Amino acid sequence: MSVAWKLAWRYLSGHKLRTTLTTLSIVLGVMIIFGLNSMIPAMERIVARQMMAAVSEVELSVRSVSGSPFDSQSLAVVQSAKGVQSATGILSQLVAIPEGLVRPAVDEYQVVKTVIVIGVDPDTVTAVRAFSISSGRFLESGDTTAVVLPVSLSQKLDLQPGDVWTLPSANGTVDLTVVGIFKPSMPALGTEEIYVPLAQVQSMLNLPDQISVVEAVLDANADKAAVNSAIQSELGSTFTLIAPDGDSEFSSAVQVGQAAFLLFGILSLAMGGFVIFNTFRTVVAERRRDIGLLRAVGASRRTIVLAILTETLLQGLMGSALGLLLGYLFALVLMMIVAPLAQKFLYMDMGAPIITLGNFLVALGLGLGITVLAGLIPALSASKTPPIEALRLESVGQVARKVRTRAIIGFVMIALAVIALITGSFNLAALGAVLFLAGVILAAPVLVRPLAETFGRLLNIFFAREGHLAQRNLARQPERAAVTALAMLIGLSIVVALAGVLSSTFGGFLSYLDRSLGADYLVMPTSLMLGGGNMGAAPGLAAELSQVEGVAGVTTLRLAYGKVDGTDLQVIGIDPQTYPVIAGLEFSRGEPAEAYAALDQERAIIVNGIFAATTGVQIDDLVTIMTPSGEQQYRIVGVGLDYLNAKLTTGYISQANLERDFLTTTDVLLMANAVDGADKSTVGARLTNLISAYPAFTLLESDTFYQAQVNIFKAALAMMYVMMAAMALPALIAMMNTLAINVIERTREIGVLRAVGSTRKQIRRMILAESLLLALFGTGLGILAGVWLSYVLVGAMNFSGFVMQFNFPWGGVLAGLAVGLIFGVLAATLPARQAARLDIIHALRFE
Amino acid sequence: MSLVETQQLTKVYGQGETEVLALDHVNLKIEAGEFVAVMGPSGCGKSTLLHLVGGLDRPTEGSVILNGHNLAALDDTRLTAVRRQQIGFIFQFFNLIPVLSAQENVSLPLVLDGARAGTAAQKATDWLTRLGLEDQCHRRPDQLSGGQQQRVAIARALISEPALVLADEPTGNLDSRAGDEVAGLLRRVVDEWGRSILMVTHDPRIAAYADRIIFLKDGRVIDETRLNAASVGEADRVKEKVEAL
Repeated sequence: MSVAWKLAWRYLSGHKLRTTLTTLSIVLGVMIIFGLNSMIPAMERIVARQMMAAVSEVELSVRSVSGSPFDSQSLAVVQSAKGVQSATGILSQLVAIPEGLVRPAVDEYQVVKTVIVIGVDPDTVTAVRAFSISSGRFLESGDTTAVVLPVSLSQKLDLQPGDVWTLPSANGTVDLTVVGIFKPSMPALGTEEIYVPLAQVQSMLNLPDQISVVEAVLDANADKAAVNSAIQSELGSTFTLIAPDGDSEFSSAVQVGQAAFLLFGILSLAMGGFVIFNTFRTVVAERRRDIGLLRAVGASRRTIVLAILTETLLQGLMGSALGLLLGYLFALVLMMIVAPLAQKFLYMDMGAPIITLGNFLVALGLGLGITVLAGLIPALSASKTPPIEALRLESVGQVARKVRTRAIIGFVMIALAVIALITGSFNLAALGAVLFLAGVILAAPVLVRPLAETFGRLLNIFFAREGHLAQRNLARQPERAAVTALAMLIGLSIVVALAGVLSSTFGGFLSYLDRSLGADYLVMPTSLMLGGGNMGAAPGLAAELSQVEGVAGVTTLRLAYGKVDGTDLQVIGIDPQTYPVIAGLEFSRGEPAEAYAALDQERAIIVNGIFAATTGVQIDDLVTIMTPSGEQQYRIVGVGLDYLNAKLTTGYISQANLERDFLTTTDVLLMANAVDGADKSTVGARLTNLISAYPAFTLLESDTFYQAQVNIFKAALAMMYVMMAAMALPALIAMMNTLAINVIERTREIGVLRAVGSTRKQIRRMILAESLLLALFGTGLGILAGVWLSYVLVGAMNFSGFVMQFNFPWGGVLAGLAVGLIFGVLAATLPARQAARLDIIHALRFE
Repeated sequence: MSLVETQQLTKVYGQGETEVLALDHVNLKIEAGEFVAVMGPSGCGKSTLLHLVGGLDRPTEGSVILNGHNLAALDDTRLTAVRRQQIGFIFQFFNLIPVLSAQENVSLPLVLDGARAGTAAQKATDWLTRLGLEDQCHRRPDQLSGGQQQRVAIARALISEPALVLADEPTGNLDSRAGDEVAGLLRRVVDEWGRSILMVTHDPRIAAYADRIIFLKDGRVIDETRLNAASVGEADRVKEKVEAL
């Protein structure tokens, strides 16, 4: 084993450029996985801290299984249970403070745009929670508009006992008077909590007689398990004595983000694996004499395998270690950049990245694993070579035979893929995409020469003499050229495929936007995430809007949460009469007219595509929804979605059923149409005047909103293109690596060229021409594979309920071409300089 | 019993139209303590013979018996062990591992055989000292002259005290002075350290150091000559013989 480590270290340190490039390919993948996923626990911690009980005195918490507020009558059940010393009902909600009500902060970087409003009964809460009052007093029985703040918040906003703070309410605004300042037992990591009398919060949120949790302390000698059991039995299965998960919408987004980051990182690592594989294949070929010598003097096959795997392991260790360090720094910088956006749109303070053992081990394991795996085939291949074969050149005949056999299989697969696409069947097309990629990988070495000649004709316009040499160089080592081009192919096919999906999604979502938010006027809440701390409005606002002169009709959306088989379900309440007229859902299954009619007549539900795809439900199936008022069965009457709720499992029911089963009558979004022929700006001015009393809402004309969404999409697309270019970075490293190896191998040949009169500039141009050929080879195949993949992915999204048309990714194709050519030039830079600087005598003597 | 005996040893490369008969039913014996040279024109099968005797390749027909063991019957693991313990190799292009020092190159066979690093290093230093390279122990191959590199290769070939040393054109890459030095060393390997040597060479001057010369042509043994190394002019006699054949 010491021989293996010694040889590994010596060989690695003897080829610094190659070692650096190979290691870099691993650094990138590990950096992405570790760095991006270090941000996730920080975000989860913020959410978890929001949901924790304020003090440790609370021994029992009762919530509804659905996660929604529930009738306060349940409090009496808990209060009267044996073993319960004291119990109190609490209603709390994250509240976003609209711009007009944001209070200037002492420090401009600590502007408060969100608070958690906690409604408590002053008579009972102090028996369950302890408050350390540092100034003023706590809430008292009889208080109506009092508020108690934590000391940190009072310092940020310069609010002292006696000051008034205006917050949004379902009835417009409410002026709260500060009566006391308290010192929390735990510092808030994100949004701070304020305490207000329960009745006031119930009014602010339009949730009369409702609470979100019952908290209790038990008698000193109470058997907690027995108490829990008795209470659970009394309350029924609608309630749970376990704390619910955090903000489900945010947690879902975080989980999706985590999966996306991991996928992104694994793809980068996979391309890094190509680089390692290519490098070690070349290394094994280069060292055939050394390997033959080792076998001749008695090294076993196992020793040869171990020696090469040790070298890959060392590379993996170096790359992973550096990747972990850079990953943490990357996350730190990224969080510093994202923090203001998170504060503005998600109302969260990000904090610092958190290193978890799990993330560390996953990143390290993947980095090491992929490196060693990539080196395994070359290692095994080296060990199987008999000593005598390793002491002479591999015969061309044998190489040609191996490559030909694989190429035949590859072409057959490509032909089958084309046939599959022509059939028009989506499933076959999907299989065809996989066959195409696999076929190209197998046939690539045979394609090198003809494609090099084809692209070479174009190249020879700019590189007359050097281009011919470049073609010959590539054709001499077709397998190495093919593997390098494949790294480019994979990187670019992903770029183009994602571009196709994004542009199709863009088009699809704009059509949803047209349908579901196409009303003349939108009365929008602060956050587009409907549950994201928006205050909402009591039904009175909708009634007032409909009375405004020039308004033809008003419809609203209401929001509640339930559970289906333990999975969260966002429930949107719509008016089946007015909603289809003013807005509407994009249906993929079911008859719209029948579906809306059913909503009005029975417990019926229209589910969105994600729900239908994940549960496999069909029209007329019954689903059981856990609501605050118990389990209710709803019949599925359609599958459709609207712009705002496409990404969460969502169901649409009538507002009457929402009130009956979920106890909610709060409007979170209102839409209105103008009378035909009315002056829209005049009507808009009247509406603006009306909702000025509701600062939690903003009036937007649909054109303005549409344009704002288009701008957001474009910005997101631009960011995605940048990220996708980053994904192609490992391909760049692969190309640089191959070119550097080529230069070393052809040292003597370059020496001869220089000796017979080639200038340094011509040598550089030869390397550049080779690089561009490789780039064109990989780019051409990558674009082809990418367009195919994007077609398949869009089809898959249609299948999962996101109905959209396939948009040919012109942008992605152009971006792919640009990336390919730029990388072709960049990859040649160092190797070309290296080649041009070779000392002629030294090069001629090179073995 | 001879140290090495080949029986109807045959090697064919390629298939069909590209088939090449490199060795054609060769029978020969090498006794313990004997220095045998193999000569012949390019492509006559000299190196092939060496590779088969050394277990670097497998014969198409026939067998190689080394110390009573039929090499063709051994699996790869046992054959590798034979190479490690009973055979030493000296190649034309030295074949030293470029990233290891002279001492590390010499100690390779022992280390691969499981010897402790310290013991192997000490033995390597002893052999390098015997061959006049005590000051070069820690230099890498690219820091040594051709002659020095070949002496390192000889030390590596001898460190495991093999019964048989195989040398494939050991002076082919050296100037005449260095070549004579190496040939003289090989003579010492037989006379002082009691090993047997089978050497392939095209140089009559070097072949004259041997006890016996076998001449190959078209894969067959066409002649053998016994030499008297003490006799002056043996090199000329060998040269005449080569030209006659």
